[in-house]
Amino acid sequence: MNMIDVRVAAIEQVTPLIKHFKFVKEDGSKLPPFSGGSHIVVALDAEGRTYRNPYSLMGSPTETDAYHISVRRQENSRGGSAYMHENISVGMTLKITHPVNLFTLAKMAHKHVLIAGGIGITPFMSQIEDLNRLGAEYELHYAFRSYKQAAFVEELQKACGNKLHCYSDSDGKRLDMDALLSNQPLGTHVYVCGPSPMVVGVLETAKNLGWPDSNVHNEQFLAPPVGESFKVQLAKSNLEVQVPAEMSMLEAIEAAGVQPEYLCRGGVCGRCELSVLESDGGLEHNDHFLTESEKASCKKIMPCVSRTKGKRLVLDL
Amino acid sequence: MERGYWIKSKPIYTSLVWHEKATSHLVLASGIGGMAALKLFQQMHPAQPVTVLYARYAQMEVDYSETLKKVVPDNLHVFKFEEDLLTELKSIMPHMRMGLRIYVAGSEGFIWDVAKAVKPFGVDDAHIMKEQTDTLARNVYCVHCKAVTKSVTTNIVACCGCERMLFVRDHFSRNLGAYMGLMVDAESPGELPAIEEIYP
Repeated sequence: MNMIDVRVAAIEQVTPLIKHFKFVKEDGSKLPPFSGGSHIVVALDAEGRTYRNPYSLMGSPTETDAYHISVRRQENSRGGSAYMHENISVGMTLKITHPVNLFTLAKMAHKHVLIAGGIGITPFMSQIEDLNRLGAEYELHYAFRSYKQAAFVEELQKACGNKLHCYSDSDGKRLDMDALLSNQPLGTHVYVCGPSPMVVGVLETAKNLGWPDSNVHNEQFLAPPVGESFKVQLAKSNLEVQVPAEMSMLEAIEAAGVQPEYLCRGGVCGRCELSVLESDGGLEHNDHFLTESEKASCKKIMPCVSRTKGKRLVLDL
Repeated sequence: MERGYWIKSKPIYTSLVWHEKATSHLVLASGIGGMAALKLFQQMHPAQPVTVLYARYAQMEVDYSETLKKVVPDNLHVFKFEEDLLTELKSIMPHMRMGLRIYVAGSEGFIWDVAKAVKPFGVDDAHIMKEQTDTLARNVYCVHCKAVTKSVTTNIVACCGCERMLFVRDHFSRNLGAYMGLMVDAESPGELPAIEEIYP
């Protein structure tokens, strides 16, 4: 994949767990344009392995002198977010992919309801720039554990004014999704990014209230879960690859020198889909892309986040 | 028509069935379409609020309004003409909220008049349940003069705008609610295939 070389221009500790990184091009030229909701993949060469983690672009899509991302240090991280927090310093160079948008605003919407949980605020940081510029009607609902742990509240207050609604667990203030989604004008689109229970909650609530699927959008990048070690046989490449417990199948395949297609690396986009030829145990599907029946058929797998429960897997790659 | 041939743009209509998940329901029916509305209430009376708008005099001049008055619990509005129904529809749409389900039954022309009326309020026709009743008659859009000839029952029709003889194609425009009509005797003027009623 065609990567862009960037230099880390600034790092800011935004909250105890969240760091904000600013990337610029080495030669000072502009970075590729993007639309609100886009993400990039950051490649990190660390201790003999390569992490490729997706992060939403936060800044204004009209200002491409620099890219801005925020990284939350994950508990039980496989090391990618911890590495970003501990080992990346100002002046270092990194490789990133071109921006891709899997979380676009519906331009025909009459109103946009944005719902963020914790670090899930990041894709909305660029979307509100687009919405403000377009003069679109919107509301941003931002839920977090406490004001101390919540990133960018002040910036959001400036950018959104009374369109921003905050909910802090520590204040006991909760977002009533049923009340929110049962009284929206026709033509409203809802967008959610945050922890899994929140995303599922919004999707279920909207469905039960009779919202059409086309008006409901979500983004939920999954970190590849840690699992058991297993062997993958690549039928076309005639290679056998050992997938260690803390590495994703996609990372292990890449480390063996094979370059499969990918985009989001978080189980969302479906680009890295591979055909399963043989498997000696059930598949552990962790993605949000395949349908339930596709998952049950055990014929397809998303190597970015999914694994096998068995010891050996044969893929058509 | 060639077997298995199908133009994707041609709409497929179904029978009306209540959506289980909804916050409210809006039923729009004209003429014989009143029967489709009655059938809905045979299925059940939904838990959510229901509004029914019915136009009595469609092409077929069948009137289900008296029966509907007995069956629809409240919020039934009966109109003499489809135009009056559409005016009322446009005036109530701004008060509707997400979770509204729309059901329409009537001629194809009526179905797409409704789709056009609700589109500015952010409702895509894909989310409207549609049942075709009354007639198979087509509205035909002349690609030469852009006039729409209404309620065409034959394979070939004289354009109401330019009087060209048009062949009625299966190619449908959701935006216009009409099928494409092309001059059938452009190359050999006056030589027409047999004109038959195929959309009674």
